[in-house]
Amino acid sequence: MSLSDDSGALDYHRAREAAAAGATGVPVAPALPPVRLVTATAVILALAAAIYAVGAHGDPAPQLQLSLILGAAFGFVLQRSRFCFLCIWRDWLDRHDPRGLLGILTALATGLVGYSLIYGAWLPDPAGARLPPTAHIGPVGPALVLAGLAFGAGMAISGSCISAHLYRLGEGSPTSPFALVGAGLGFWLGLLSWNELYLWSIADSPVLWLPRHLGYAGALLVGLTVFAALAYALLRSLPSNPIVSQPRLTPLAAIFHRRWPAWVGGLAVGLIGIAAYFRLSPLGVTAELASRSRQAAASLDLLPSRLEGLDSFRGCATVIRDALLTPNGLFIAGLVAAAFAAALIAGEFRPRRPSTGQALRGLIGGALLGWGTIVGLGCTVGTLLSGISAGAVSGWVFALGLIIGTTATLKLGRRLGLLA
Amino acid sequence: MSALSLLRRSLSTLAATLLLGGAALADSSPLVTTDWLEKNLSDPKVRIVEVSVEPGLYERGHIPGAQNVVWHTDLVDTVTRDIASPEKFQALARKLGIDKDTTVILYGDSNNWFAAWGAWVFDIYGLRDNVKLVDGGRKKWELEKRLVATNPVPVKASTFTVAEPNRKLRARLADVVSVVEKKSDARILDIRSPDEFSGKIIAPAGFQELALRAGHIPGSVNVAWARAVNQADGTIKPVEELRKLYAEVGIDGSKPVITTCRIGERSSHTWFILSRLLGYQVANYDGSWTEYGNTVGLPINNPAGTVWGGK
Repeated sequence: MSLSDDSGALDYHRAREAAAAGATGVPVAPALPPVRLVTATAVILALAAAIYAVGAHGDPAPQLQLSLILGAAFGFVLQRSRFCFLCIWRDWLDRHDPRGLLGILTALATGLVGYSLIYGAWLPDPAGARLPPTAHIGPVGPALVLAGLAFGAGMAISGSCISAHLYRLGEGSPTSPFALVGAGLGFWLGLLSWNELYLWSIADSPVLWLPRHLGYAGALLVGLTVFAALAYALLRSLPSNPIVSQPRLTPLAAIFHRRWPAWVGGLAVGLIGIAAYFRLSPLGVTAELASRSRQAAASLDLLPSRLEGLDSFRGCATVIRDALLTPNGLFIAGLVAAAFAAALIAGEFRPRRPSTGQALRGLIGGALLGWGTIVGLGCTVGTLLSGISAGAVSGWVFALGLIIGTTATLKLGRRLGLLA
Repeated sequence: MSALSLLRRSLSTLAATLLLGGAALADSSPLVTTDWLEKNLSDPKVRIVEVSVEPGLYERGHIPGAQNVVWHTDLVDTVTRDIASPEKFQALARKLGIDKDTTVILYGDSNNWFAAWGAWVFDIYGLRDNVKLVDGGRKKWELEKRLVATNPVPVKASTFTVAEPNRKLRARLADVVSVVEKKSDARILDIRSPDEFSGKIIAPAGFQELALRAGHIPGSVNVAWARAVNQADGTIKPVEELRKLYAEVGIDGSKPVITTCRIGERSSHTWFILSRLLGYQVANYDGSWTEYGNTVGLPINNPAGTVWGGK
């Protein structure tokens, strides 16, 4: 069975080609059916009302309100710049288009610089035994590699990572709802296997933080050098002039209709990450989902009564919270709502009836994503992005496992005719 | 000298005496108000120190100029389950630029529990009268929407020399046992919640460190720590009210007092009130229920009748 590419990557590619070809034609004027605009306006107004209400009645109001705002900003940016780790990796793998990867590097470099600035204020001396508060610096060992491999495989099978499934939920993706349900199952499986993995490897895995060993300047220099080297290598495959002559776009169309260049998205993602770390906690999209899954599983007596050491690690915490509204919960809500509004305005909200294949791939891939998230203490956002920005070795190791897992699964799946 | 100038001089002397007397009175209190603190933020002889339990709280915004002390690593010895050693405390105080003549203003989250623990450790190592708590702690400072800062202010290290630890301020298991065996006339004040005291629960939900048994030390009396605090802003109640509150259970300063709770952090809050505000002779028992309740061979009192946390 061969399934269509529902990531939007191909559509995007075609749209880009069409845009390039029709350079002299009329700019891609959004022909918006009014119902879309009305719905988008309603969503935006509801979001604004929610931001106001949370600010007035939330507890603690400033944190909850800012979470909702940053979540909305994140969702808007992800949707507008198609910041989907798998799509970006496939662009590179299939078409040698490095632009998405350059966007990720932009996000990481921005994040690293911002984190270093904050670190200097919060923990002037990195050499001691302390870690900067709440930064996602996790244990590095074989379990983390396994988590990366599983997460990568889950991305390849389900068509996205968790953050991209969330924004694509707002685009009406037929796979994403299944992937998120699958992730819930995966969280549970991850928690079930946690104690064994903890005793096997995680308990003895070192928590490695680069600034402790290299100093802030050293860690920043090494990080930026690696990014620069990777960017240099990628830039060599950049077509000399990919889009012959850009059609003139109105600023509104450039923001709301045309896809953003990946580097603009990367810059925005990096800045949102810095803002989140400075004011709330490192960017992450799984804490709420995983802790609700844990709560559900625990209330059904489907979990061991103790999860050894789990709550003592840095990362997307799964500690069960009683509050109805949590910062991460509102972050996710804002993300999905803003992505929905952005997709509506851009005409990219295309709900489709899911096929059995899409549902199956969503569930299976999602379960792998969920398992990898628990064992790796986060996903592409919480462990990779927030980890590498934080100077954590765990972020790099997770990224490596992820790339290998995705590539191998994609190649194998395609050979077997199961994946597009 | 004319009579008028004499009169003027006497009047100004009187005014100065009154003023100084007033200032001295404010200075001798072990509590400072948030108002006072805001006016004295830039006084070089004042060193503000935050002792909070929640990680990252200090870093994301603290009283301007405050230094950070991490309760569970800076003030304790995690290997020996002990308070910080004299050497460790001396190094910490020097790093914070604290000396015997520095006015140390402690504050923190959770109603100053850990700031009070800090004041207790400071006292043990010879820093007492100049060490004060911000009445209401972080909670009140935030409620009043006062300024917070995130950038670090470097301080010049001091040459502080640590004193011999004052053993009188700290009760050990043996001291508690001799009260239970009626070999000592000290009174034990348990400041946990009534349900912990009665043995209905071992500890409030969410606390990790537990004892095997529920109940309390035989002969101890119970005044929950929170009864000494105004719930609205976390400030400590007036001294006369406090004196009455503790006198109701027979803690009136006529006998030495031992304060106890679960791990000794909430009880340092009550220790601070009894010792510093009421001037009683008080030792804090930091082993508390996690030590006593777990010790083999020691009797407990458990009115709720629970066995191993159940009926």
